[in-house]
Amino acid sequence: MAGYQLRLKSLVFAFALFVSGVSVVKAADVSWAELNDAQRQVLNPLASEWDTLRPWQREKMLDIASDYPKMNADKQALVKKRLTNWSRMTPYERENARKRHQQFNALSADKKSELRKKWLEYQQLPESERAKLRAESPDTYTDADLN
Amino acid sequence: MKIDDNKHIDQQASLDANVEDQIARNIVELLDSRAQKLRDEHSLRLAEARSLAIGRLVSQEAQLAASHSIHRSGHTLQWFGGRFGHYFEQHRIFSTLLVVCVMLLTFFAVQQFSVNHQIENSDAFLLASDLPPEAYADKGFTAWLDTN
Repeated sequence: MAGYQLRLKSLVFAFALFVSGVSVVKAADVSWAELNDAQRQVLNPLASEWDTLRPWQREKMLDIASDYPKMNADKQALVKKRLTNWSRMTPYERENARKRHQQFNALSADKKSELRKKWLEYQQLPESERAKLRAESPDTYTDADLN
Repeated sequence: MKIDDNKHIDQQASLDANVEDQIARNIVELLDSRAQKLRDEHSLRLAEARSLAIGRLVSQEAQLAASHSIHRSGHTLQWFGGRFGHYFEQHRIFSTLLVVCVMLLTFFAVQQFSVNHQIENSDAFLLASDLPPEAYADKGFTAWLDTN
């Protein structure tokens, strides 16, 4: 009976490993031709450069495509509009953006509104001044954080 | 009439008890007198048998005491544990499957909770946010906010 239990537990464990392993490999290796219609429609702005993206970049973009149907039409339009710029950001910039986005989500509605105004105000600054501010700010993440 | 009957019954019971007591005393006297006349080998065998019986009795009492000391730690839990423990012992396959199912359900529940929690922080929702991704990624904007 103990042998039976051991075999059953091993089987469940092996199955879980197999399922997780297969899903990781599948997500990372898919080419543009292998995408389904819904994924191509969402990721269309990246069509020309998809096959040059690294596997982990493709995986992130596929995550975006899978979350896309959960949004309303306005948000879907924003995603399509911003996708190309997003794919061209460096890992440092993306990780910074994720961290700031989480902080932004935790703010009150008034604070969010204030921050939107501040962003518009910041964009009115001369590019040279914004470049100077960027150059003076240290990177938040190290290489180890991004692996 | 009934009172007389009861008195008669009480007297009879008392008499029976006296007779039994007397018989017991006679037996004890008889055994004592015969014990004096026992041969050494018979005395030795009786002593060994007595010693063996006492040993067994002591062992049983010790086991009973140990069992009681465990039970004292929580009667209700012990009762439940004992019953369910016995049940699971009798249904090993079922209990194994039950444990596996509970583990899988817990795993999927935690995963589902984690997915729901992560959706709002996913890259897609970042792209659809009130601010463009450049606003979040721009270190200069963060520094400018700190100084303003």
